[in-house]
Amino acid sequence: MAQQTMGSFTEAAVEETSKSHGEPEWLREFRLESFRQFAKLPLEISPLYTKYTGLSSFDIGQFPLDHTPESIDLRTHFEGYLTGRETNVILQGNTRTIHIDLDESVAKGGLEVLGINEAISKNPGLMKEIFANKLVKSEREKYAAFNNAFFNTGTFIHVPRGLEVASPIRKIQLVRNPTTSIIDQTIIYAEEQSRVNFLEELYTRESARPYLLSSVTEVRAGPASTVDASTLQFLDERAVYLSNKEVDAPKDSKVNITSIFLGSSITRSRLNFDLNGRGANVDGFEVFFCNGKQRFDLESNLNHNSPDTTAAIHARGVLKDESQSIFKGMIKINHVAKNSNSYLAHHAMLLDKRARSDGIPGLDIDTNEVKATHSASVAQVDEEQVFYLEARGLPEDEAKKMIIVGFFEPVISRVPVEMAREGAKFIIEGKWRGERRRLVDRETLMAITGEAPVDVRQSSDVFERHYKYRA
Amino acid sequence: MARLEIRDLHASVEGREILNGVNLIVNQGEIHALMGPNGSGKSTLANTLLGHPKYKVTGGDILVDGESIVGLTPDKRAKKGLFLAFQYPVSVPGVTMFSFLRAAYNAVHTDEKNQAPTLFEFREEMNEKMKLLGVDESFMHRYLNEGFSGGEKKRAEILQLALLKPKFAVLDETDSGLDIDALRVVAEGVSKIAGSDLGVLVITHYQRILKYIKPTFVHVLYEGRITASGGEELSLKLEEKGYGWLKEQAGVVS
Repeated sequence: MAQQTMGSFTEAAVEETSKSHGEPEWLREFRLESFRQFAKLPLEISPLYTKYTGLSSFDIGQFPLDHTPESIDLRTHFEGYLTGRETNVILQGNTRTIHIDLDESVAKGGLEVLGINEAISKNPGLMKEIFANKLVKSEREKYAAFNNAFFNTGTFIHVPRGLEVASPIRKIQLVRNPTTSIIDQTIIYAEEQSRVNFLEELYTRESARPYLLSSVTEVRAGPASTVDASTLQFLDERAVYLSNKEVDAPKDSKVNITSIFLGSSITRSRLNFDLNGRGANVDGFEVFFCNGKQRFDLESNLNHNSPDTTAAIHARGVLKDESQSIFKGMIKINHVAKNSNSYLAHHAMLLDKRARSDGIPGLDIDTNEVKATHSASVAQVDEEQVFYLEARGLPEDEAKKMIIVGFFEPVISRVPVEMAREGAKFIIEGKWRGERRRLVDRETLMAITGEAPVDVRQSSDVFERHYKYRA
Repeated sequence: MARLEIRDLHASVEGREILNGVNLIVNQGEIHALMGPNGSGKSTLANTLLGHPKYKVTGGDILVDGESIVGLTPDKRAKKGLFLAFQYPVSVPGVTMFSFLRAAYNAVHTDEKNQAPTLFEFREEMNEKMKLLGVDESFMHRYLNEGFSGGEKKRAEILQLALLKPKFAVLDETDSGLDIDALRVVAEGVSKIAGSDLGVLVITHYQRILKYIKPTFVHVLYEGRITASGGEELSLKLEEKGYGWLKEQAGVVS
């Protein structure tokens, strides 16, 4: 197991981070308290899972933290990622929010999308309230505390009461030889009866050294709101990826979280759904495909704190070569949450004898009159399915590929942007074939989307009309 | 005219000998019915013909136009013109009927010059066959066999048969689990496709499907061997007397 060192991540560095962003005192204190938790907490708190901590252990001290603003040539960076027709798009290069473009009608309707630091200086009152009542709590998880202490970028999305954002809000995070760890806080605050669909795509353009991308996402759904939040993680093999997601689902809200994890050397994901109001309904869809020596460590929990709540987590993964995964999940139904319905499933498909997957679903139920089901399986590709497809003329290899792509399809089809869906399929096929595929050049994107992305160096549209890029 | 020849075929499943020397010739354009009690080896024969990895040929041969196919993988057998309508079609979640049919159609109809049919050709053919068999458009967007009723599954099998246009079709208990209306729809579908280009081997436990698919020949499989062959009257005899008399007959023979 790697030696745990703190390296750059010291108390002095917290002070430095806070100072470099010119933050208010309350945020500085929040960061410092988070740092104390980070320093104190073990890798795993639950005694149920301590024997599995080796799977996602790494030395955080090896990663840098640097506050020097990075100067990036914007125009060449996103070439290949955009068709030029996007609206509701957030572009982030390493730790810098480069560009935010919103559909006019939703902007008029009051939709606010800001870089997290900008949000703090613009709406200090609201942000102070949100941080005082943080969903991703530092005392609950070591790397949640880490992110809360050191975050250096992020996005704040505020959907006012009753506003329905028709087209998805797409955040494209591009990583290119970062000189600092990328520590991102995203807060989605959707007020009562609003509707929003957020998609975050993580790509690596280039990397010379191992790097850390830590991501915290909070979904603060309002009563009777509908929130979709998806993550597509396409990082390269030099990434250590940490994700902490927390969902507050109040009365009659509907929240869907979709995660597609394909890249990185280590992925560690923690997802908690808190069903806090009567009639809340949540779904989690998580898929991963790991190969080579990838290690994926996922934990997803459903916490029923109110009556008449409905929740489901569908996790599935494919493992190849010497890769390993673990999925832990718990359904907790507390004593007031009568008439709740909960489902937790993890299914893994092993393509190699050397690959390993563990699924540990659990139940903790404190009331009667509920329905809770969990299921887990680890299996090889089904021989009968392969034979059926072969008997129709498909060679074994094609048959298996079809079954695997199909295994992911129900989750991939939830992604609201076609290019991102096709990108995911392209990467999955590459992994199946043992090819190292990346979504970084025009040719690749043309091949998968059948159309040429706009060359942003010549486009006057994507960047130049925006006030941020005129300078 | 193409010919499927099963020659003294012996096959085993997990070390258990099930087929003990099956001889049968099916010519293109003929309809053969293969009947027999449970456990006689009917489904083993069907799976062995297509090369299911669990079923091992331990003796004899299977020939298409004089060429042995025993060493071929199932996909190669399909390309040689063999088709199996499954007794229990498996579902493949996440794969739509459309994408599956397209892939299968391309695989089977790719010509010697490696020229695959175009999407347009496929669509034309698919629409025509769907119309012929009364298959609803919505079928195409559903996942392969996922959540299909018994009748829908069998109808999907017949649609595949129509699209892939094999030389020989083995229908493995296509009638099982169907109510009489579903059976009629499926059997009429087969009748529409059958013709001088198709040899059919209808494997069935019951005579009822043969009311719709009129066989040229009827064979009885018993303990891994064909013990009786004849015309349609044989199937009627089985319907009337059951399979009990075969035991006596088999006893006499051995």
